[in-house]
Amino acid sequence: MDLTETGRSQEDLARENERLRARIEKLEAELLDVQARTNAAVAKWQDRAYWLDRWHLDLNAVMRRPGAAEARAALRAIRAVARFFKRLRRGLRRS
Amino acid sequence: MIIPVKDGERYLEELLEALRREAPDQILVIDSGSRDRSREIVHAAGAELLEIEPSEFAHGATRNLGAERTTGELICFLTQDATPCPGWLAAYREAFTLGAHVGAAYGPHLPRPDTSPMIARELTDFFAGFSPDGSPVVQGADGPSFLSNVNACYARACWEEIRFRPVAYSEDQAFGVDMLAAGWQKVYHPGAAVLHAHDYGPVEFMRRYFDEYRGLRETSGHVEAFSVVGSARHVAAQVAGDRRWMAEQGLGAVDRARWTARATVHHGGRRVYSALGSRAERIPAPVRRRVSLERRADTSAGPADASEGARQSPLPPPAVIAPKLSHEVYEAAEQLWREGPAPLVEPVPGMADRRRLRLAMAIPTFSRGSGGHNTLFQIFTRLEQRGHLCSAWLVDPYGYAASTWPAVLREEIREYFAPFEGPVYKGFEQWQGADVAIATGWQTVHSLLRVGGCRARAYVVNDHEPEFYAASTEQALSEETYRYGMHCIAASPWLRDLLIDRYDTSAEAFQLGVEHDVYKPRPVERRRDTVIYYARYVTPRRAVPIGLMALAELKRRRPDVRVVLFGTGEVLDASFPYERLDILNPTQLSWLYSEATVGLCLSLTNFSLMPKEMLACGLPCVELAGVSAESIFGADGPLALAELDSNKIADRIEGLLDNRSEWERRSREGIDFVASHTWDHATDEVEAGLRHALRLREAAAG
Repeated sequence: MDLTETGRSQEDLARENERLRARIEKLEAELLDVQARTNAAVAKWQDRAYWLDRWHLDLNAVMRRPGAAEARAALRAIRAVARFFKRLRRGLRRS
Repeated sequence: MIIPVKDGERYLEELLEALRREAPDQILVIDSGSRDRSREIVHAAGAELLEIEPSEFAHGATRNLGAERTTGELICFLTQDATPCPGWLAAYREAFTLGAHVGAAYGPHLPRPDTSPMIARELTDFFAGFSPDGSPVVQGADGPSFLSNVNACYARACWEEIRFRPVAYSEDQAFGVDMLAAGWQKVYHPGAAVLHAHDYGPVEFMRRYFDEYRGLRETSGHVEAFSVVGSARHVAAQVAGDRRWMAEQGLGAVDRARWTARATVHHGGRRVYSALGSRAERIPAPVRRRVSLERRADTSAGPADASEGARQSPLPPPAVIAPKLSHEVYEAAEQLWREGPAPLVEPVPGMADRRRLRLAMAIPTFSRGSGGHNTLFQIFTRLEQRGHLCSAWLVDPYGYAASTWPAVLREEIREYFAPFEGPVYKGFEQWQGADVAIATGWQTVHSLLRVGGCRARAYVVNDHEPEFYAASTEQALSEETYRYGMHCIAASPWLRDLLIDRYDTSAEAFQLGVEHDVYKPRPVERRRDTVIYYARYVTPRRAVPIGLMALAELKRRRPDVRVVLFGTGEVLDASFPYERLDILNPTQLSWLYSEATVGLCLSLTNFSLMPKEMLACGLPCVELAGVSAESIFGADGPLALAELDSNKIADRIEGLLDNRSEWERRSREGIDFVASHTWDHATDEVEAGLRHALRLREAAAG
């Protein structure tokens, strides 16, 4: 096919190829970057979750069980009371 | 709407009136020989009537017939004594919008006002268990399989795929099991309620339980446990529960006393008859027929009036076994045969030469001391250090690691093998694609070939695994893995040549490395009388019986020689006294190798790492001739080779014990020879192999 008939010269095609190659390179670099961050994030999470996985603890599942929210609220209440007395004791010591 | 009927006039009018209110598109009543007013009631209600012979009725087949004769997308089933409550049909319509793959729904059976307290409590408690908070619940494969055609609704697509089994009883339970196994979901919707309760007398109840449990046995294999003490406790607990329930319902003392006596008979009889029902095949047929409320004598699937020919068959009634696995062990191979490998992603020019590659390695299950995994992670940890993005994907067809979660797997890899930094996954659910997807054992190949998003695939072959098995499925499947055109990177020249010659595949070799920081001569006095033997009995390719015979012969010739067995957790029986060390860590091994006089390590397949590690510590080692060692060391290299003959192996060991100059030559040459065999060098070779796989892919794509 005569390239001039399509209105595109060899130079145009070479430039287009170069542009597409650069685009591929950029996308490839992005892909590697995403993969590196994914691997790092999952590995870091696995480091942190070791004992949960070792004890087969899925905290989301545990907190979905009946009574879990109440138990958490009770713990928070106990902690609040403990902190109150701790502050009170500190206050009394200072005074 | 499909309602099988026989002599159902008692509630049929009420049922059809309730249905008129719910306004379904079509009502089909299937009558199997009613002798009461049932047909008149159906005609008067304007419902469609299909009449069949009583002998043609079977719970599964008749319902399939009804579904075939109707056209709606939802197929509801009611029994003749179940009256829908207001909102029943709307609840079913809602149920099918609650999940992406809902194939069936069912609702509660509410007691009628005259229902006995025992049944009323049982129904109430039973259905409350499906939804403690009273909202609809979607149930999948890990949920209960319960379904009841007293009151159920099916998506036509689900029914067409599963259909009711042609069983005489419990076709709904069988359907529940089958649909969940096929990946469908079902919904329990509390709003799709019916009034329904059987008001049998005590004896009829017992006979019904006999039929029910016989059906359960036939469809799911369930056998009701029975013991006198256990049954007495069960009855006492149930009667106490009934009494509490009666008190809550406000029954008077006289009624409570009357129903207490009835409850005792009811629960006791139920216990006995359900146990009998699930063992019905042991009861003579005439007795079975009399005990059965349905007057059914047969115990296998099929209608009550099975033909005379069938009754005379010498075949015992088959037990129908419910599925226990979610898939077969080698399903990945079956899927691969059916659908072929996933297509590879189009190659990107120059991808083989990129500095960083995305490498995803599928690994089989492992344990501490797995030599192949040690090789893989020594190399992949180094590939990581060179900037490649590595991940490991465990393939576990046998479920050996079912109870080990991914973070624990990762930590075990780091503890047992090498400080791998990448993530570790179980299965391929979170698969992200890769530049090179790498199979590392035959069990990993079929699954790996099914995952997409890969630019190339490679196969790191540690050994010729078909030789691990006698003629078997495993041998056939493992042989097949070399024939999928994956570029092989083999752990010795011998193995590379075998793969090329036997399977006509592309292959190259890498040399196993040695951790020279660990495996080196230690500052300990070398003994002159000690033979150490890697006696890993659980690995048949280690030819341990032959090794033990060789050592027995050696002991016979030289009773003073000290023999130490290591590498096995078992205490092996032998005809000679020996010392035993368990499975040792690398540092301990290096000290053992530095102290011993001769090492013995046999392999009937590919050469392993251990002889190299012995040589690195200056310990001459005896291996088998004619297998794979010559491809690495040559016929008369630092390794002393012996034919597969216990006397000749003993000769070789004795020669090294006696001939000091030969011992010193092999010790020195061994250290020199393996000095260049490093994991860095092995990593170079494997990396080149992976890049070669990418180049082959580029070339194939043109």
